[in-house]
Amino acid sequence: MKSFSSTLFAWPGGRQMRRISIGTTPPGGKPSRVPNLRDLSVYLALVLLIIFDLVLTPGFRNPFVVRSLLFEAAPVVLIALGQSLAIGTRGIDLSVGSIMALSSAIIGISLGFGQNVGIAGAIFGGLACGLLNGIFIAIFRIAPLISSLALLVAARGLAQALLSGARVDLPMDGPLSALGQITIMGVPVVAIVALAVAAAFAFLVRRTLPGQYAIFVGASREASVLAGHPVRATLIFVYGLSGLLAGIAGVFASARLGAADANYIGVQFELDAVAAAVIGGTPLSGGRIAVAGTVAGVLLLTILDATFIMNNVNANFAQILKAAFIVGALYMQRGRA
Amino acid sequence: MVLLEARHIAKSFGHVAALRDVSLEVAAGEIVGLLGENGAGKSTLIKILTGLERHDAGDILLDGRSVAFSSPRQAQDAGIAAVYQEINLIPERSVADNLFINRAPRVAGLFINRRQMISDARALLSRYGLDVDPARTLRTLGLGTQQLVSIIRTVSLGARVVILDEPTSALSAHEVELLFGIVRTLREERVGVIYVSHRLSECYALCDRMTVLRDGVVALTEATARLPRARLIAAMLGRELVERSRSAQVVANDGAAAGSSDNVLHVEHLNWRRQVVDVGLDVRKGEVVGLAGLLGSGRTETMKAIYGAVTPDSGTVTIMQHRRHRATPARSLQDGLAFLSEDRRSEGIFSHLTVAENLSASMLRRIARWGIISRQRRDALVSEYVSRLGVKTGGSDAPISSLSGGNQQKVLIGRALSTDPSVVMLDDPTRGIDVGAKAEIHRTIADLASHGMGVLVTSSELEELVDTTDRLVVLDEGRVVDTLATAGHHADDVLAVIAGMQTAPSSAPAAEAGAP
Repeated sequence: MKSFSSTLFAWPGGRQMRRISIGTTPPGGKPSRVPNLRDLSVYLALVLLIIFDLVLTPGFRNPFVVRSLLFEAAPVVLIALGQSLAIGTRGIDLSVGSIMALSSAIIGISLGFGQNVGIAGAIFGGLACGLLNGIFIAIFRIAPLISSLALLVAARGLAQALLSGARVDLPMDGPLSALGQITIMGVPVVAIVALAVAAAFAFLVRRTLPGQYAIFVGASREASVLAGHPVRATLIFVYGLSGLLAGIAGVFASARLGAADANYIGVQFELDAVAAAVIGGTPLSGGRIAVAGTVAGVLLLTILDATFIMNNVNANFAQILKAAFIVGALYMQRGRA
Repeated sequence: MVLLEARHIAKSFGHVAALRDVSLEVAAGEIVGLLGENGAGKSTLIKILTGLERHDAGDILLDGRSVAFSSPRQAQDAGIAAVYQEINLIPERSVADNLFINRAPRVAGLFINRRQMISDARALLSRYGLDVDPARTLRTLGLGTQQLVSIIRTVSLGARVVILDEPTSALSAHEVELLFGIVRTLREERVGVIYVSHRLSECYALCDRMTVLRDGVVALTEATARLPRARLIAAMLGRELVERSRSAQVVANDGAAAGSSDNVLHVEHLNWRRQVVDVGLDVRKGEVVGLAGLLGSGRTETMKAIYGAVTPDSGTVTIMQHRRHRATPARSLQDGLAFLSEDRRSEGIFSHLTVAENLSASMLRRIARWGIISRQRRDALVSEYVSRLGVKTGGSDAPISSLSGGNQQKVLIGRALSTDPSVVMLDDPTRGIDVGAKAEIHRTIADLASHGMGVLVTSSELEELVDTTDRLVVLDEGRVVDTLATAGHHADDVLAVIAGMQTAPSSAPAAEAGAP
């Protein structure tokens, strides 16, 4: 299977895609940079799924469907990027879904001060949560899994308390409404923002000090310390950024929903974020961050959801199918994780 | 009566022979010391004796009958128990619970009889001279005491042969005495003990006989009483001991140099746990200083404490007349002190990353502006060091794991040098690399010194250290025991000094006092 697939995809165009990620060798390190199935699997799966939908799923060609998909995908792209960074340091950030809810709740309670204040507050709230998470992880050396799990519970609880469990409808005009509806040439503004953030992210991890430090810390924390890297500051930065992005994602999701709702926004989104990052080629063992792969992973999962809905697959059954799909995709990544 | 005997054991991993021909015997009521430097084959032998590995050739005899263990459980059932450094107990339960895991005294075979268990535990502890309340939660005891409990648990399982692997590394001086008490009780109870340690004074205090492994063969087996330290050390290092007079080689330890403006590195009264004890040393501009000593003498720990990779308990480090407080690796690099770890695999290379990324890891800040790394400046610096150090690579974008050990090491030396240090510490830089790369690294060291850099270096090979350094600082059990010039001398001279020192009156009484 392995040799078959690697010959199958040893075509020149693959090189382009191969360069998307940093730290280009799978462990066990063969010197060759020939792309193999693992590196391309996410794009391949995405293409296959789109072809499947174009041929078999009724209504998939409708531009409104595509637009709706992009609206859905934008916030997930943001949190999945933050996730890929956290995973790249050999950590994980399970709090992103709950931070989205907290962000939404902050918008809900601050409508009286104007929408811009609400948006700023929501993003700041996300940043604050992320920094707190980072401090627990970097300074107090709490395992990222535990620290972010605690925050998952606490941020959701705080969000629900702020809104007293109620849904708060957002005004029909102003920036929030615009974020939830405006498109440029049919492409949602939020999707353009998400794509721009992804591009900035690729630059961050490849060319900047914090991004490179994150990769070094993930590749070997011991070696990173001895090489003189600011390991703690890097971890605080990583989780702070993840929280910040989750805050923005919460704004996007609330704008799309047209309401602040702590019980609905971001529920189980952390799982999609982790799955997208890992399917996209960011190994759980750290030291490598696949930015474009993460974006493709998000699109893959979003389209998969839509495929089930549009083919009238029973919602419960759809979840099982999606889980099976994720397990299958991660199995193909097992050499890294 | 010979209890356990290993005859002509051989074991290979792939093409690497870990044990070639090793024989070892332990009699009932005998304590046998097992010694050897890293890679000599001690741990492989222990794994074979305890059923963790299978030997390729040779026989293991227990009570004269040939046995073959395919699991640690089988070895345990046969009466061979090993105590490792890690503690395998339940911290949240009481000492008594831990001592009697799975075998607590029961009432009607069902309910644990706590009172009975506590009193049994107390009896067991006092038999081995450990004064601990058996009802206390294990976690509340010090790590050393926990380890002693772990040892008592193991030996109380009815073991006839007990293997202690570096049992004292986590123990305080008092706890070491308690451990010795336990081991001597075992001897009285006719148990055979194999005692593995790097601390020679412990072996002399405790063991009836010592076996030295080197390169997978037995270099020496001798009764302790007939084994002078010099011969033991010579066997461990694989050298013949040549008797020479000591006074001729030793240079007076230069207190005058301490305040000298030539000093690029000045260390005073450095302490870290029990492994670095009151260490003081100087490295002058353009000087190559070797840290000599056996394995476990504190070479690596001394360097790490100087570098700030571990936080020293006390002491001062001065780099280029600049006295430092609360050192960290990042600050050391800023102050002009670079360090190469001996553990290339886990503390050196970033194995998934490229040659360029590995080499530039410590200079990123210097080639970045506003946090953005300049590709151009990075590539220029990388190619400079690749050519200067003669790194053979398939390109700077090749993964570091595609390079040979020697070339990986050159990349890491390049990383250390890229920070433009005034003093560099290289911990066993030639470990596990081929002869050609070794010679190139020696040349690099000499070259650095000739350009005025101070170099502090260690090696597991004494001869190499003598040949490549100007001065040696000799460590024994964490202490500096002497400083001597190496110029014009042979390794044998230094060996004589090291060995001589270890029988010198200053260190002998401690060992003798502990001897039975």
